[in-house]
Amino acid sequence: QTHQHINPSDEFFAVPYFCSCCSGEFDLLMAAASPTQAPAMTLPAAMAAKVAPSPKPAPAGDRKVVPVMTDADEVVVQVQVQAELHVLAVDDSVVDRAVIAKILRSSKYRVTTVDSATRALELLGLGLITDVNMIITDYWMPGMTGYELLKRVKESSELREIPVVIMSSENVPNRITRCLEEGAEDFLLKPVRPSDVSRLCNRIR
Amino acid sequence: MVPEMGYLDEQFNQLEELQDESSPNFVEEVVALFLKDSPRLLSNIEQTIGKYPQDFYRLDSLVHQLKGSGSSIGAVRMKNECSVFKAHCNDRNLEGCRRSLQKMKREHATLKQKLESYFQLLRQVGPREHAVNSRK
Repeated sequence: QTHQHINPSDEFFAVPYFCSCCSGEFDLLMAAASPTQAPAMTLPAAMAAKVAPSPKPAPAGDRKVVPVMTDADEVVVQVQVQAELHVLAVDDSVVDRAVIAKILRSSKYRVTTVDSATRALELLGLGLITDVNMIITDYWMPGMTGYELLKRVKESSELREIPVVIMSSENVPNRITRCLEEGAEDFLLKPVRPSDVSRLCNRIR
Repeated sequence: MVPEMGYLDEQFNQLEELQDESSPNFVEEVVALFLKDSPRLLSNIEQTIGKYPQDFYRLDSLVHQLKGSGSSIGAVRMKNECSVFKAHCNDRNLEGCRRSLQKMKREHATLKQKLESYFQLLRQVGPREHAVNSRK
């Protein structure tokens, strides 16, 4: 049984699969599906016998190959698409919300923006925003500050595991220290740049 | 096409770098948000300066917002003038605040004119990709 190592193109995404006949990786080409679809592909039984799946731990956004045995003596390979990371961005400035959302979306994050800390807590508390992998918030906002939001999140048993990043246009060492001591994941100076965010997100992943 | 020297800083370039097929007019859209939001802030600042007794805390808070959004789009002159204004607030120097506000209004008007011309020119030279890539 032969197989091919094919380069992925824009129409297809390649699923890394471990092959026991050549002891290397080969790429199964799957038709590009929407992120919510889980395409399935059938391998001929003879080939399946030689193929040993060795899924590496898949970072979010990648596809994990899961072989499923069926009665017809074929292996159906199902691709489970890992969800994108979801970031909640909190900022009272409409300009800054647009910028931070774009920076995050360019790095393939799903972004929800809110204009205040109280709103953020409301939505989180009511379960209207779920599966939040990171909160990024402005420090200085009318009403509740980002620092207060950080404290509330860290005090909450449901929310405390969520990393919270503070953004501020002012470089005040005491403020930075206080935020980090309160459990902030990081402190970014505004204006926030794409490089700040990608450096940060590599740690969250 | 290079943004006017002195009016815009590196942040503006960073925003242009973010532009892609999914949002080909991103910079123009963000600038539009700024130009829609900032007159309101300037007007609030003006009203607050006119109030008695002076509320320097509120003035500082308003200018802080303007400084923040200005710097997010790379409007360096506006950002710097906001810093000057803030220093006057700190000193409780009302006259200084008044002068600074006038400067900020002039800076804002010039910036708006230049940005609008810039985007108009980009549209004239052709597809967005060419205009942006030619700077790389």
